[in-house]
Amino acid sequence: MKTILRNFLASESSRESLWSKSFRKFRRDRFGIAALIVVGVYAIIALGVWVGLWGQNWSDISDEGFQGISRDHWFGTNLIGQDIFARAIAGTKTAFEVGLVVALSATLIGGVLGAIAGYFNGTIIDEVIMWLYGCIDAIPFYLFVAAIAFAMQDMPYAMHVAMIATFWSSTCRIVRGEVIKIRNLEYIQAAHAIGVKPLTIIYRHVTPNTFHIMLVQATISFVGAIKSEVILTFLGLGVQDGVSWGTMLSESINEVLRGHFGNFLAASGFLFVLVIAFNMFADALQDATDPKKISS
Amino acid sequence: METIQYAIRKLLYSIPLLFGVTLIAFTLMVYFGPDLTYSLLGKSATPEQIESVRKQLGYDQPFLERYLMFLKEVVTFDFGNSISTGEKVSSILARTVPVSFAVALPAFIISNVLGVGLALIAAYHRGKLWDKSVMVFAVVGMSMSYLMIVIAFQVIFSTSYGLNWFPVQGWVDPIPDYIDAGFFETIYYYWYYYWLYVTVPTLTSIFVSLGYNTRFFRAVIVEEMNRDYVRTAKAYGIGNGRIMVKHVLKNAMIPIITRIIISLPFVIIAGNLVLENFFGIPGVGLVTYDAITNGDLPVVKAVVTWTAIIYVFALILTDIAYKLIDPRVSFTK
Repeated sequence: MKTILRNFLASESSRESLWSKSFRKFRRDRFGIAALIVVGVYAIIALGVWVGLWGQNWSDISDEGFQGISRDHWFGTNLIGQDIFARAIAGTKTAFEVGLVVALSATLIGGVLGAIAGYFNGTIIDEVIMWLYGCIDAIPFYLFVAAIAFAMQDMPYAMHVAMIATFWSSTCRIVRGEVIKIRNLEYIQAAHAIGVKPLTIIYRHVTPNTFHIMLVQATISFVGAIKSEVILTFLGLGVQDGVSWGTMLSESINEVLRGHFGNFLAASGFLFVLVIAFNMFADALQDATDPKKISS
Repeated sequence: METIQYAIRKLLYSIPLLFGVTLIAFTLMVYFGPDLTYSLLGKSATPEQIESVRKQLGYDQPFLERYLMFLKEVVTFDFGNSISTGEKVSSILARTVPVSFAVALPAFIISNVLGVGLALIAAYHRGKLWDKSVMVFAVVGMSMSYLMIVIAFQVIFSTSYGLNWFPVQGWVDPIPDYIDAGFFETIYYYWYYYWLYVTVPTLTSIFVSLGYNTRFFRAVIVEEMNRDYVRTAKAYGIGNGRIMVKHVLKNAMIPIITRIIISLPFVIIAGNLVLENFFGIPGVGLVTYDAITNGDLPVVKAVVTWTAIIYVFALILTDIAYKLIDPRVSFTK
């Protein structure tokens, strides 16, 4: 009773939107801000590689293999004399490319299908979509990627396709649950009553209220994609040309046994800092945008 | 009787799922998959041989016929022979699955028990230092790549750069014939070598999964702690620790058990893909890895399809287990 009253009073006294409230709440979260700054730095590095400002000489071979740390080579060199620092920087771009492509596509597909399934809850459309993600969830991820790699031989984007094909299911499930809740609210019924078409209702009135879920899901998919890339590259299913933290870690497997830790430390350091920052950012985002937690 | 009816209904409901899973596996790996004719025949094959093998593999048949052929393979567990070694796929699996279980099971049990324990501690001290330390540990654990941890643990435990306590790679060999070992010596031999080879992989997979487990279990327990009956129990003057273990944990058990059972098929095969390959353990993971890298379709086909089918059955089993454990879940729905 008390909480209902408080929510009622709160909704009367402030006319803030969900987003401005979330933003205010997020700004107070010191860990969230710190994480966002770290992610921003990585994004700038990746952008710089993409437009060609730095990290372009990662494939240059020299005859100075397995050098230690020096002013020319900040993290030393690898077996064939490539500069590890440049490779780690160039790997940032690969990580962002994989992460962004997978996160955006998977969230888009999951969001659209989830909204449709939730809105047509109880009909055959809902059943079909639920069946689809049930099937996807039943096949272990790495094996599913292997299966797709078999089907799409010699396609460099098999990894991206496979990740998108699996990652949409969790977004779809969550969005569907939220849309089922939203669809029973009065304003949707009102829109329905005045004859707005179902697809317009979904597009204009339902999905905007699931954006905060999709945002959090996108950050989670991003982290998942970066981490999966490493394992898939190790399994020989991932990045084929170019450099990534996965290729660096795979190279380092035999190097560490001979006492050369440069590749391993550089790749895992870059990877760990980005992933932990993204995880913290996702947590802060979730806390900030969860309407149940917005009371003050 | 009611339970049996329920189980049968659940089985019937799972048919579309089984159908979908096999259809995906078939479409990806058989229909659009690589043409096996030449890998079976080798370089010097006559056109007649090629023709007959293609016929035997059903490449001239329409989609539906080939799907039915595939279903027959799945049901009879006859996936043919491995391309690289020529061994029967079913006998490869029979040989390797027990090894994978032996490797994965200790880690699986320990990481789940530890996860529940840490989650209870964190939830009990919610918002305090203990909670924060456990959660920071969980996020750090979650943020490390599997490959990173495997490499680091191998260096730390198995090489001269670290502690050098365990061998880098390998698996238990049977006792050599020339040694006449008694009963207790045999047991000691296997026990010793089992732990010698399995300790580092176990520590690795505990480290990898503990963060995820703890976070999930804590969320479940915290949600349960917000329920009304907890407040009532507190009002009755029952101690906090008692409430946690006797009431909250008991009620939180359903999502926890679901997660544990559902993750089992994935942990055994998918999780071992990296681990077994890395530590040279001859289990399903290693066989599958080799099959993926060599393009050995029959093996991958069998592993993918059967993992998915086992997962579907694990889902059914958890559902049935609920009804048996939890009186609140009704049979009729």
